This record gives sequence, C-alpha cells and structure tokens, in this order.
Amino acid sequence: MSTINFANREINFKIVYYGPGLSGKTTNLKWVYSKIPEGRKGEMVSLATEDERTLFFDFLPLDLGEVKGFKTRFHLYTVPGQVFYNASRKLILRGVDGIVFVADSAPNRLRANAESMRNMRENLAEYGLRVEDLPVVLQVNKRDLPDALPVEMVQAVVDPEGRFPVFEAVATEGKGVFETLREVSRLVLARVGST
Amino acid sequence: MVEPSLVLYGALYERALDLLEDTLRETGARYALLIDRKGFVLAHKEALWAPKPPPLDSLATLVAGNAAATQALAKLLGEARFQEVVHQGERMGLYVDEAGEHALLVLVFDEGAPLGKVKLYGKRAAEGLAGIAQEALAHPPKLTLDTEYREGVNALLGELFGN
Repeated sequence: MSTINFANREINFKIVYYGPGLSGKTTNLKWVYSKIPEGRKGEMVSLATEDERTLFFDFLPLDLGEVKGFKTRFHLYTVPGQVFYNASRKLILRGVDGIVFVADSAPNRLRANAESMRNMRENLAEYGLRVEDLPVVLQVNKRDLPDALPVEMVQAVVDPEGRFPVFEAVATEGKGVFETLREVSRLVLARVGST
Repeated sequence: MVEPSLVLYGALYERALDLLEDTLRETGARYALLIDRKGFVLAHKEALWAPKPPPLDSLATLVAGNAAATQALAKLLGEARFQEVVHQGERMGLYVDEAGEHALLVLVFDEGAPLGKVKLYGKRAAEGLAGIAQEALAHPPKLTLDTEYREGVNALLGELFGN
C-alpha cells in the first residue's frame, strides 16, 4: 500500500529487492545511486557487515518529481540474502508495494534461488499477502558468468508458471538495472488509481 | 494483515504539527517527527534554534527498522511490544514511542533537553498522536489519482531511467 501524504502532497512507494545471498541486490541499488543525478536521490543507507554483506537493509530514496501537484517518491530497499537473516528480512517486507527478485545465474546457486523464492512466499504470507497479488519482476543477474545457466532454467525454478516479467542483467556493469526498475515501477503504478 | 495506508492531511495534519510543535517547546528537543511503521515521514517539526537536521528519510527509515526489530525482540520474549525506547549518546539522544499501532513519535534531543521532560511530554504527545492516527485511519480520504497521474509519473520514469 502506497503512503500518501496529502499535507506535503507526497506519494510514496516501497520497492524491495529480494533474492538469495550475493545475488546482486545491493549492486543494483549502488548502480542506481551512481547514475541518478543529485537532487533526484536522497542519501543511500547501508547496514552492512565489514565485508559489505548486507546485515539489515540498504535504503535509497528516489524523487521522481511532481505530477499533478503530488511529489512522487520511490523508496528502494534490499534485504539481506543469507538464509539465517530471515527475521530481519521479514521486517523489510512490511508495507511493500512491489518486488524485484534478483536471481543468480550461477549453476551452484540454482537451489538457493528456489529457496529464496519459497522464503519470500512464506514471509509475505505472514503479512496476509500472496506473491500473485503483488507486482513482481524477475531479474536474472550475472549473465556474464562463463557458466551461467540459461535464463529459462532459472525462471523454471523460481517462477515455473512464467508469471513475472523477466530481465537479464549484469548489475556490476549496469546492464538491465534500470530496465528492471522501470518495469517494477510501471507495474506498481498500474495499480494506483485502479482501485 | 495488509498494512493500512496511513494518510494525514487537512485538519488532522495541522493538529499533528501543533502537537509536535508544543512538544518541541515543552521538552527542548531539536526535532520531532511522526513517521509510519514503514519509515515514511508523515509530519515533522524542527526547533528554530536547532541546526539543520540529518536527512529525515534516513532517520525515519532507520528508526522504523529499529522499531520493527525491537518489536520482534519483544515478541521473542513473550511481550507484545516494548513501549518507549531511549537511545542516549554522549551529547545526542533519541526518544521513540508508539503513536498507536501504525505510527511512531520520534524526538531528537541534545544535552539541553532534560531526559525527564522528554519522556514525560514525549509520552503525552505519543498518546495525542495515536488518537490523530486513529482518526486518520478511520476516515481515509477519497483518492483521485487517475490515468493522468499515472501517465505523468510514467513519463518521469522514462525520463529518469530511459525507456
């Protein structure tokens, strides 16, 4: 549910990057942060360990500008991917408007992708939400790996019914990063006003 | 449970601002914010004498994250929640209290503000704000975001991200 602040004439949306450990969620946000001009972005907040693994979340506010007198803002979050951080992962899903699921193309992470998606379903269920009810975009990341699995194989494990839009990405080089964000934003907006 | 959208505007918003302003005066705190549990700022006030605050989005997000973690901790210990939380540094302090189920009151204060006053008036303000938040939930405004709005935002997105 988007938060609308009539007083400040602001509409806020919350987008969460989900996925298994080291799949590239933070890298996505860092790329966005590095490319968005000053004035359109706030401070990026990262709660990470010394080796830069996300411990709680990363946060990046984006200002889109004003439409019909309403300032529209997207708040981007990542979750910690590691299995044992589920308690904090769950907290970050609170009030989410749209999700980017960042899957890893490496063969030895195929199972981790599937487990992370299952975990996301379980966590959403605790908020009374179903994956089917939310805008979700699948980003198959690390396409530059020499032994990267075919996109279809990753998709078959994460989204066997082919429900979510799919984007290939190399987040370290920015490939597919904006395209993914663009699509999830579009889906989130499509739900505004349609209710 | 789907998180309800907490919306503050018009008279309710003005009342929230007044309450925050009163609280700043009574406590001597620097900044007062009402944020929702998702980390969005609903209303805020700064004392005129205080220096420019840190980025409020960051502050609100971290406080909401912290409050969520604290509540999860409370549940682990068999409590529904911990009430107020005070973080005290050498000079700066942070007071966070629940303003009802869906919002939080945040006061940022320095050594010039006696902690006793911060807690006393902070608690009272939180109760007042809880009432305001409750009313806001009970009477959500009709939203008139139409296709025109959507197309406008889409155009901005295209401009920012490329198509």
